[in-house]
Formats: sequence, structure tokens, C-alpha cells
Amino acid sequence: MFRLATAIGVVVVLAALPLYLESFWLQTALFAMAAMVAAIGLSLLVGIAGQLSLAHAFFVAIGAYGYSYLAERIAPLLALVAAVLLAGLAGALFSPISGRVRGIYLGLASLGLVFLGQHILQNATGITGGYSGIAVPPFSLFGFSFSSTSPDSLVILGVPFGALERLWYLGVVLVAVAIWYGRNLVRSRPGRALATLRDSEVAAEVMGVDVVRYKAAAFCVSSMYAGLGGVLMALAFGRIVPESFGLLLSIDFLVMIVIGGAGSVGGAAAGALFVTALPLVLNHYSGSLPLLAEPGTGGVGAAEFSRFVYGAAIVAVLLFARDGLAGLARRIRKEKIA
Amino acid sequence: MRLIASVAVVLALAVAACGKGGAEEETGGGSETAIKTGPGATADTITLGYLPDLSGVFAPNGKSQMEGANLYWDAKNKAGGICGRQIEVKVQDTGYDPQKAVTAYRQLSTDVIGLGLVLGSSIVSALLPSVEQDGMFLNFAGWTSDILPAENVAIAGTTYDIEAINAVDFLMKEHGVKAGDTVGHLYFEGDYGENALKGSKFAADKHQLKIAEQKITPADQDMTGQVSALKKAGVKAILFSAAPPQAASLAGVAASQKLDVPIVANGPGWTPQLLTTPAADALIANYYVVSSMAPLTVQSEGVQKFLSEYETAHPDGTPSSNGSLYAYAGAQIADAALTKACENKDLTRKGVLDALHSLNALDTGGTVAGPLDFTDPSKPPGSQVYIAKVSKEAPGGLEAIGEPANATDAEGYSF
Repeated sequence: MFRLATAIGVVVVLAALPLYLESFWLQTALFAMAAMVAAIGLSLLVGIAGQLSLAHAFFVAIGAYGYSYLAERIAPLLALVAAVLLAGLAGALFSPISGRVRGIYLGLASLGLVFLGQHILQNATGITGGYSGIAVPPFSLFGFSFSSTSPDSLVILGVPFGALERLWYLGVVLVAVAIWYGRNLVRSRPGRALATLRDSEVAAEVMGVDVVRYKAAAFCVSSMYAGLGGVLMALAFGRIVPESFGLLLSIDFLVMIVIGGAGSVGGAAAGALFVTALPLVLNHYSGSLPLLAEPGTGGVGAAEFSRFVYGAAIVAVLLFARDGLAGLARRIRKEKIA
Repeated sequence: MRLIASVAVVLALAVAACGKGGAEEETGGGSETAIKTGPGATADTITLGYLPDLSGVFAPNGKSQMEGANLYWDAKNKAGGICGRQIEVKVQDTGYDPQKAVTAYRQLSTDVIGLGLVLGSSIVSALLPSVEQDGMFLNFAGWTSDILPAENVAIAGTTYDIEAINAVDFLMKEHGVKAGDTVGHLYFEGDYGENALKGSKFAADKHQLKIAEQKITPADQDMTGQVSALKKAGVKAILFSAAPPQAASLAGVAASQKLDVPIVANGPGWTPQLLTTPAADALIANYYVVSSMAPLTVQSEGVQKFLSEYETAHPDGTPSSNGSLYAYAGAQIADAALTKACENKDLTRKGVLDALHSLNALDTGGTVAGPLDFTDPSKPPGSQVYIAKVSKEAPGGLEAIGEPANATDAEGYSF
């Protein structure tokens, strides 16, 4: 009963938020949602299956560019599905490597993909547009476009619904699906098999888990998550450029799952929200912080200060919530019961 | 069940009670002036957005740019502002990160009439769809012709490709490069370098020169391999479209390998700090810069005014052509468009954009080479460049050679 009420409450609040949020907040939320979807994928791979990957930005880029390229040619819904499958395929192709090396070595091997990706994005100008990037066609479903056109001026309760407001709902649905699927996967038979694999490959093998196949599957699923996150990120951008998919993004994803608590689906989502939104929000309020120098007058400006706060916040989380935000939530819940 | 119902009712009431409201296009404005205003313009202020990089890789340049912009607008506001309105500058850092830039833009977009400065072409590319939709102008702190044609983007002067064509022209006239010779071109992967390469290839085609290409990335700091390759190719001169760290290495290594040829760089290839490196002597001997932005020795009214204002405001600072002077010139362009829009009694975003495109011979007092013509969005507004030589005595380290140049080759060039 109570759970149902909470669920309905959450749905109503999520549905009503675009009526209140300014475009800055919607834009921030969309980037955060895209990061959430992709981070859940990485959490499954690193936290559950125990395979360190620094290539996540590469798979996100495949999703983003795949969608943008295909949606010009086929229906956007098909393009979305195809982009996700394409990212999954790329993950599967990498599996011969991920099956052979593990731990930090796998991390280094996967790092190569990010640089390969950057090279392709910069030079395959026919598909990627090179350094100037490509425009992202708006997503549409049954004639309803998630942009500011068709229907042209959609006004709900006195609020004009442009691209950001409409994309919000798409993002919420995709994040919900990603969390639901991720949770089920972790609790299911394959999820337990992957966890065994992480703890001991020999034990897993003895238990009858096909190690090679499961390792490949983990990479594949994780890449598909990355691809879906990439599609959402592309839609949030409107135009994508290679700079957005560099090594920094891969590292950001690792920070997200570490902060969230590796292996936890909800934790990954929370970590993604934290890492994506914090710098943007700090930047937003930095203007109203006291004692900071105006840009161009020397001294510590708001931009530097928000970097310091961001760094300090990460250190604080790692110090006081060593098992991540997910672990912190678990402890609070236990204390309440006790 | 009651809980659900009450939650629903409370939320429904809340939804009905407020909301963020619709688009606020105020067409009324002050009735006594009867000037149409839109977002970013009120009866007493005009707000401009600035999106420099203050915390990323170009942070030093971003700070320098904000110095220049503040210098101009402070003086303008003291003199009464534009249209009887004070200019307010809203700054948001992009950190040279497209994602940060897009959110920073969202934050500014409802309050500003236009963007006084945006650094980085990848950032401009990412912002362009929204900027076009909002119909505001954007001062692009970059000089690539790939961005053309763009209704909303204003470039200060001419583009890297035209600079490179002028560089080849300069080499042929002043340094005895002739048909059949090989000229090296060391350039960055990406918009800046590849745009310049397009220009040098065009000029080389015209004069039967061979171009020995050396493509590098910003991570390459040691030019030994490139210099050896260029020496082997027998180059008579080197065109340079990369950044100052590479310039120091290139000039230094070339001197030590006895490759004594002129090096001609695009504007971003210079910073006054290069004169404090061990490569300073090599740079003084062989390094030239071709740019739309004035070297600070130019004795024109605009540049000297900038210089004296800068020295008063920042006695210990180092003025730079690409940083503070660029932002100063960008502010001049924005000022001219806003003033014109005021004359047309239309301070809406569209009014300002129309006013910008009606400027056909904007004189910046020499901060940007030549008169600027913004009427054709498919062409850069300028066609002239300054050519400068490195000098220890000159402010900003560059001494202009002659008047702004305009290579005849550039006329047949298509963007």
C-alpha cells in the first residue's frame, strides 16, 4: 500500500517537474539521465562482472554517433534500437580481448579504444563530420516529435513544451527501463553467475558457468547501456562533437560508479547524478558566492572555485562513504530499523 | 488510498498554482523611447553573455579575454552606455567542455541579447542549433571558415585559410620562395590547422609550390621528428598552424639542426610568453605571424587607445593580440551592432542580428585589419591581415611589417 503510494507520488512529481524547472535545470537533468543509463552499464561490468573498462566513452560515442547517422536515414525509433545494437556489437567484438586479460591490464587494453574512437571521430568525416561534429535529428514516436516542432507550439498548463521538456519524459522512461532491467539482471541467474565470475573464475567454471561466454555477454550488455546513454546524450546536445567523448568521459564514468558504490544499480544512477550535475550546479551558483574574483580581474574566480569544491566533494564522499552512496543509503536504512 | 488521493490533490493544486510561465517576449519597452526590446534588453540595461574558458586548457587566454572585454565595456558604461542603457556582462565558464558549455548557455540564454564571446569551434558547433533557434548573435573567438555560412556568427576579421594564403604570398614576395619550391606546413589536427592547410594548398596550387605536410596533435610537444622530415624534404619556408609550445620547439630545433628558413604562423601560434623561452633568439631571427588581429605596435587610433587603457588598468599585465585585444575588438563589433539596432529602434535579438548584417564597412580603428563587412554571411567579414615579426622591444612581442596586406590570390578562393 505504502509502496504503491510512494510510486504514484514519484511518478506524479517526475511528470510535473518540467512545468517548474527552468531550461538550465532540464538541460542538466538530461545530461545526468544520459550519464545514469551509461553508468548503470559500467556498474554491471565493473561492479558485478569485475571487468575494469576505460572504454566506456567509446561505446557511448558509438551510440551517439550511430543514432545521429542512422536517424537521418531510417525512423528515429529504429535508429535508436540500431544504435544500441551497434554499441553492443562493438562490445562483443572487443570480447576476445576482454576474455584474455583481466584487472588493470584489461583497463589499459580498453583505454586504447578511447583513442581509436577519437581518431575515427576526427577523421571519418563522411560519417562523423570530423571536428565540427554532426547535428542530431530529433527523436520522434508515432508522429510526436521530441523537439520544438510537430506539434509546433505545444502548451500544457500555460507552459510551452519545447525540446527539453519533451525529452525529459523520454529520459525518465529510459532511465526507469535501465534501472528496472539492471536490477533484474543482477538478481537473476546470469547476474549471480557474473558475480561468481568476479570473485573466482575457477569457482565459476566449477559451478558450470561458461566463463568466456559470460564475460563476453557482460561486455556486450554494458556496451548496449553505454549506447543507449549515448543516444540520450546526443539528443540532449542537439549536435555532437568528438571532444565530448574523450578519455575524461571514461574517467567520469569510473568516478560515478565508485562514488555510487560499484555493483549497485541505484548507486550508479546516484553517482551519475552527483558527478554530472555537481559541476554544472556549482557553476550555476558560483556567481552568487561571496569573496570570489570577477572573471578577468585576477584571483580565484568562480570557475576555479567550483572545481575545488567538486574535488573536495569527491574526496568527502570517498572518505565518509567508502562503499559509495549505495552503501551509505544501506547503512542509514539499517540504523532506522535498529 | 487516502494518502494517494491527498498526494494527488496537493500536487494538482501545486501545478495549477504556479508554473514557470511562458516565453517572455516583451515587445512594449519604454514607451517614451518607443524602442522595441526583447530578452536581454530593458529600459536601462542591455545584457551580453560571455562564454570563455576560465578553467580548462585555454584558461590563461580566457582570463586575458575577459580583461579585454571588461576594459571595453567599463569604459563604454562610463561614457553612458549604448542607447542610454548600461551594458551588463554575464560570464559563464565553459571549461572548454561542450557539455558544460551547453548548460552554461541554457542558463544565460533567457537573459541575454547575444553572446559577446564564445571560445572554441567545437563549442560553437555544439551551441549553434540552440543559438539559431533563439536567434541571437554570437561573437566567435576563432577564425575558421568551416563555420560559414552562419547567419548568427560574427568573426573578427578573416579566417585561417586566408591568413595562410597571405602567408604564402608574403614568403614569395619577401623571402624568395618561387615556383617549384617546397614549403613545409606544420599543423594541428582539427578545425584550426586543417582550415589553414586548405588555404596553403590553394596558394601552393596557384604557384606550383609543393607542400610538405606535417600533421600533429596538441599533445605533441617535441618537434624534432617533424623538423628532420621537413629538412629532408628540402623546405624553403615553414607554415605553422599550431600552438605556442610547438612554436618554441619548432624554432629551437630548427636552429639547432641548421634549418635556417622563415616560419610563418597563424595568429594562435603566438603568445608574448614565448620570448621568455630559450627559443627566443631563434624566434626573433625567423618567426613571423600573420593574423587579422593587430600587433600592438600598430600606430592606429584603436590599438593605441586599447594599449593605454590596458596599461592603466593592468600595469603588470601582458596585453596579447589573441586574448585581450581580440575580446576588445569583439566588444567593438557587438557595440557597433547594438548601436545600429538602437538607431533602428529595434533592440530585439532579431533587430541586433539584422543590424549586424547591415554593417558593411565597420572600422575598428585598426584593432582588426581592414574594414569589416558583415553583409554576406557566407564570407568572413575581413580580407586583410597584419604581418608581424617577433621583437623583444615591442609590446606583445610582435612588430608589424608594413600596412595590412591583402593577397590577390585570395580572390579566387571559395570557402
